[in-house]
Amino acid sequence: MSSPLGYLDPGSGSMILQMLAGGFAAVAVTTKLYWRRLKRLVRFRKTDDGV
Amino acid sequence: MTPDALEDWRRLASSALFPRELAAGRIVPTELDPQLPARAGYVAALRHERIHFVSYPYEWSFGMLRDAALLHLDLLASALEEDLTLKDATPYNVQWRGAWPVFVDVGSFEPLRPGEPWAGYRQFCTLFLYPLLLQAYAGVPFHARLRGSIDGIPPEEARALLAGKARLRRGVFTHVALHSRLESRYGDRRRDVRLELKEAGFGKQLIQANVRRLAKLVRRLEWEPPRSTWLEYGPTTTYTEADAARKAEFVLKVARQRPRRLLWDLGANDGRYTRIAADHARYAVAIDGEHGVVENLYRTLRDERSDRILPLVVDLADPSPGLGWRGQERRALWDRGRPDLTLALALVHHLAIGRNVPLRELVDWLRDLQTELVVEFVAPEDPMARRLLAGKREGLHEDYSRASFERALGDRFEIARSEELASGTRVLYAATPRT
Repeated sequence: MSSPLGYLDPGSGSMILQMLAGGFAAVAVTTKLYWRRLKRLVRFRKTDDGV
Repeated sequence: MTPDALEDWRRLASSALFPRELAAGRIVPTELDPQLPARAGYVAALRHERIHFVSYPYEWSFGMLRDAALLHLDLLASALEEDLTLKDATPYNVQWRGAWPVFVDVGSFEPLRPGEPWAGYRQFCTLFLYPLLLQAYAGVPFHARLRGSIDGIPPEEARALLAGKARLRRGVFTHVALHSRLESRYGDRRRDVRLELKEAGFGKQLIQANVRRLAKLVRRLEWEPPRSTWLEYGPTTTYTEADAARKAEFVLKVARQRPRRLLWDLGANDGRYTRIAADHARYAVAIDGEHGVVENLYRTLRDERSDRILPLVVDLADPSPGLGWRGQERRALWDRGRPDLTLALALVHHLAIGRNVPLRELVDWLRDLQTELVVEFVAPEDPMARRLLAGKREGLHEDYSRASFERALGDRFEIARSEELASGTRVLYAATPRT
């Protein structure tokens, strides 16, 4: 009983919030997520320099 | 059910939580229907116990919405323990057995996919949490917003509504302000957040922590009904206790003529007469337009563990219409089952004078319900009617009289009996619709 199709889109912002709202349990996951993003960012930069 | 849905059902049916919650009356009794559906692509069907009267969250009181939210979170927590989850989080999946909330959508249970977040979190916020926060922190009734939008209150709107001091209250920063910020930030990005979370090690313990914290937050939310005149209606009314006793007797006499299927009490107030008549009906719906009155009635019924009387907040001059896709996802109040006995005590003057509904229109409406009727007419000389008339333009309600009410009622109904109460300004009628 949620929508005519019965499918619920969780929403990206809401997914991130769930990670942050997990309290203590969330610290590790949050750190990892942003650390990976940072790494990817740095890697992109390096590739850019190479070209 | 499709083959996938059937598999999910089997998983639920073999879980530990399903029999436990069934026994506790928190999930509607459901079983496989041996008769196969005729439609292509479906391999099985479920049949569940009948809900006597379907209602929607914009007709519930604060306490009802809160208890429905807690039921949802509880079931989700139990599901997660067995690696199951609920695929959505809508109050429309909760119905009532009197003052008992019952989860009705067993199709919402599905196996938890490792690393996936809780898909229903946003929906829980927009349809359960924000309406509750709005009522508890800002004193704003949630009914108009839930009725105005089938998806509830989006985070951005909740943020705007819960401004000022409310922003400092528990839960608002995380679930409203931050949620809204993140939503606008991620709204137009094509990043695959789901995959990112999975790779970062998102697990069910995070959902469990969030659910636990939400349950704690919701349990602490409180709303006290304002001390309006209506709340005092029961014990300290303007008419005498003798009148009330006669009224109770009149209602009882009609109610026990034969067992009724569905009783409606329109303008139920503290439910005094609903209870009397409900003893002779399979199920009763107690309707009142005042949120505070319904909240108090719900609390009493819940404490009594009543499973026969459903209290609802409905403004009878503007009752719930059909809503959603094609106006058919949520049905109008009248389309969810008609009563065979209706009480309309101390109601007519409110609609006729307070809301300017012509007496004839009012009687026509009651006639359309095709119900036996116990109706009270309050004469214009009565203190309650005088109070309502005081604010009106002279002559506007000239047709409001006992004679014109009786004429209108007599045209549409067979009046079986009537009784003038001792105060002399109130008359009761028992009537059956003319064919």
